Amino acid sequence: MFATELDYRMSVCQIHLCSLLIKEHFGDIVEKVCTHLIQNGAKPLRVAAQETGLKIDQVRKALCVLVQHNIASFGLHKRGFVEYAASVEQVLLLVRYPRYIYCAKTLYGDAGELIVEEILQHGQMRMSTVVGRVTQRLSEGGQSVTNDHVKGKMEDLINTHFLQRVPAPPPDNNKAAFPELTISERDLYRVPASIEVTRGESDTSKRKRSTEDSDPQSSSKRLKIDSEEHAADEGILWHLNFDRFHKYLLDHEIVQAVSRRIDWNAAEVVRTMLRISELSKGLEDKTSHPISLNDTMRNLPKENNMKFGVVEQYFKLLSDDQTSIVTKVGETGGGSYTLDFQNACKALVVSTIESVVQERFGSKSFRIFKTLLLKKYLEQKQVEEFALIPAKEAKELLYKMFSEHFVTMQEIPRTPDHAPSRTFFLFTVDVSQVSRMLLERCYKSLANVISRRAFETKENKRLIEKSQRVEAIAASLQSHGADQSQTAEVEDMITPLEKNQLEKYRSKMSKLEQSELQVDSTIFTLGNFLRLESDS
Amino acid sequence: MAADNIVIKQEVTDAMNLEERILEMCKEETKGVADVYIKQQLPHIDAQQRVKAINRLLSLGKIDLVKQGSELLYRLKDPSSISKVKGVDNQERLVYQIIEEAGNKGIWIRDIRLRSNLLLTQLNKILKTLESRNLIKAVKSVGASKRKVYMLFNLEPDRSVTGGAWYSDQDFESEFVEVLNQQCYKFLQQKADLAADSKLDPILRRNQSYGSSEDVWKFIRELGISKVELAVEDIETILNTLIYDGKVEMTVSLRAGSTSSGTPGQVKLYRAIRPLTEPAGIMRVPCGVCPVFNQCYDGGTISPSTCIYMKEWMDY
Ligand code: SF4
Repeated sequence: MFATELDYRMSVCQIHLCSLLIKEHFGDIVEKVCTHLIQNGAKPLRVAAQETGLKIDQVRKALCVLVQHNIASFGLHKRGFVEYAASVEQVLLLVRYPRYIYCAKTLYGDAGELIVEEILQHGQMRMSTVVGRVTQRLSEGGQSVTNDHVKGKMEDLINTHFLQRVPAPPPDNNKAAFPELTISERDLYRVPASIEVTRGESDTSKRKRSTEDSDPQSSSKRLKIDSEEHAADEGILWHLNFDRFHKYLLDHEIVQAVSRRIDWNAAEVVRTMLRISELSKGLEDKTSHPISLNDTMRNLPKENNMKFGVVEQYFKLLSDDQTSIVTKVGETGGGSYTLDFQNACKALVVSTIESVVQERFGSKSFRIFKTLLLKKYLEQKQVEEFALIPAKEAKELLYKMFSEHFVTMQEIPRTPDHAPSRTFFLFTVDVSQVSRMLLERCYKSLANVISRRAFETKENKRLIEKSQRVEAIAASLQSHGADQSQTAEVEDMITPLEKNQLEKYRSKMSKLEQSELQVDSTIFTLGNFLRLESDS
Repeated sequence: MAADNIVIKQEVTDAMNLEERILEMCKEETKGVADVYIKQQLPHIDAQQRVKAINRLLSLGKIDLVKQGSELLYRLKDPSSISKVKGVDNQERLVYQIIEEAGNKGIWIRDIRLRSNLLLTQLNKILKTLESRNLIKAVKSVGASKRKVYMLFNLEPDRSVTGGAWYSDQDFESEFVEVLNQQCYKFLQQKADLAADSKLDPILRRNQSYGSSEDVWKFIRELGISKVELAVEDIETILNTLIYDGKVEMTVSLRAGSTSSGTPGQVKLYRAIRPLTEPAGIMRVPCGVCPVFNQCYDGGTISPSTCIYMKEWMDY
């Protein structure tokens, strides 16, 4: 039942990247199971075990991890057995986790950051557990916060739909071979009445155990531990509403673009419009509902004291702009406007592609590329004339881009015999095709960076382990009240040379990690455009 | 702006006067006048202006340059050109007429032959004679390289033949185009910066950042970087390249241009813009620009683990 759904739009690069990501996050066994499901479509547990050569129990645990992290899902095959499938898209989101966390930090501070981090780490959690852990972590970090404060932040995240309930089996469904997971629209963002924990909050030792254990069993073990406490919100689990985060990130991109195009005040107007339409529309909507000037005026942030007339002018500028992100649709409420997300995504993707062409082929090629973008179909001769680039050079640049699939060519024969001398060769840019091609490139680049990171870690394995040992010894000495000179002596076991190398290793790591996020941001922009496009 | 305008008009009228006066001199001296003579007669005119006026008269076909002994003389041109073909035979006259009809677009030798029904050798001889007598000239055509077209000696070849302002002697002047491209951008960029710093209302501020093609044209003219006379349309071609560079956007306005000389109606307005996004993240990793991207895979000769681009980039 999933098979057809899964097969499309998968490439070798994607699969390779997925297995690298799963291996990094969940270890070898989970990787084996996940990659198998991705490559071969949905499988029942027993078959998956057979085909991967793993023990049933291993596969079961791996699937448990995958299901918990929203990567695998299960369904009933029409012959009556349960089968499991894994989603490539969901795996690819693993790269984006730091961005979700950063998002939450921007919006809801340290508590927000830790809440999202905890939930991402475990896939899905009860509110009581999250609040307990986060409060503890914050106080360990020297902040004096109460459970209530953290709970408040988590409720904020729920109310703004960044978190949502995990569909649960109906209570009377326990004995069925296959639990139908459901959640009603009404309950999706309903905060439980009480999250009182009756038998103590999770203590330090438990917390340590589950975060330090990186093998797949930890999560199942942890579930058992948790269920021993009788929390009032038993059975109500929360996970991230990824689409909501994506919406937020996209909104941010749009606001940035407007600020670059017009100025920060215009961006503020758009930000306000986005906020007004925030919860009423999903990621797949192509436009917002109409938003009036008056409404926007009322919702502008207090510290921004733009006058009515000025806001009115900004609306005029926005709707005049060639990106067509804002469109005027009527006169009510001082003029009503919609945000066009499809146009916005297109403008963003075109600008992204342009920057790639500019950096990869140089500014002359970029001029040719943009000429084609604006003029749609051109013969080589016309390209030269518009771009004012000499024939020979233009030809070379054009064919270079053609050979790397940034530019496509159409043959229009003037005679039925298709003789080349009587055929028009029209060059053009197909934005969707270039986007898909670049997306593939991003996947492969990302995989390359992750590979390189694994390689660097392997190269420095001995040194990393040594430094970890030394740190552990130093820490335990310190906790036993050893004096400075003693710990210093232990720390000296790392020679300056080694220290230097460690330093270098760490800077390499951070550079690689940083660039993974950057590649992912390109993936995000391309993906948004392609998704909206394929819907239309 | 208005002040500029007056100055320009002043220059234009001066130039006209100058040409008139040179023509007068030529009329008086039917044998022709020497450069020195003109110089003496017009002591207050500087050399550059004088040469410009003479060149213009030459190109308009009002005067001719003739050699007398070792001296070069400017001579009034006979208004009826045919009379100049006096003393040529009928065949020569025919060829001359065919070429004359072709105007400043010129005509290929093949077409002359078809229309005149002359043998190629014969025709070649005639063309040579006419050429040696400065009645016609051969011009290399940009469109079809190496092919020559013939036209009357005094004509300024059409753009389609010379390729317009961007060609000199059939060679495309890339550098010239690029210099103009940069200067036009600089002009619009400064305008945009000024507007952005102003305390005006948003719409006024945007309008301030626009420059019409005529504004840009004036700016370029005053810079004096062009050896050839550029038309506003030439500048628009350059401004278009800026649009294709993604640095400028154009909008058409119906109001009269900010220059008083422009006729009300459509005005093309240009302004400098910034790219909508930061450069794509993918370009910040070596793989984004890697020349051997397609040959690279784990365990291959070229692989992420052994990649030198990565190494250099990380060490940087
Ligand atoms: S890892 Fe190195 S060789 Fe491979 S694609 Fe990236 S830059 Fe090129």
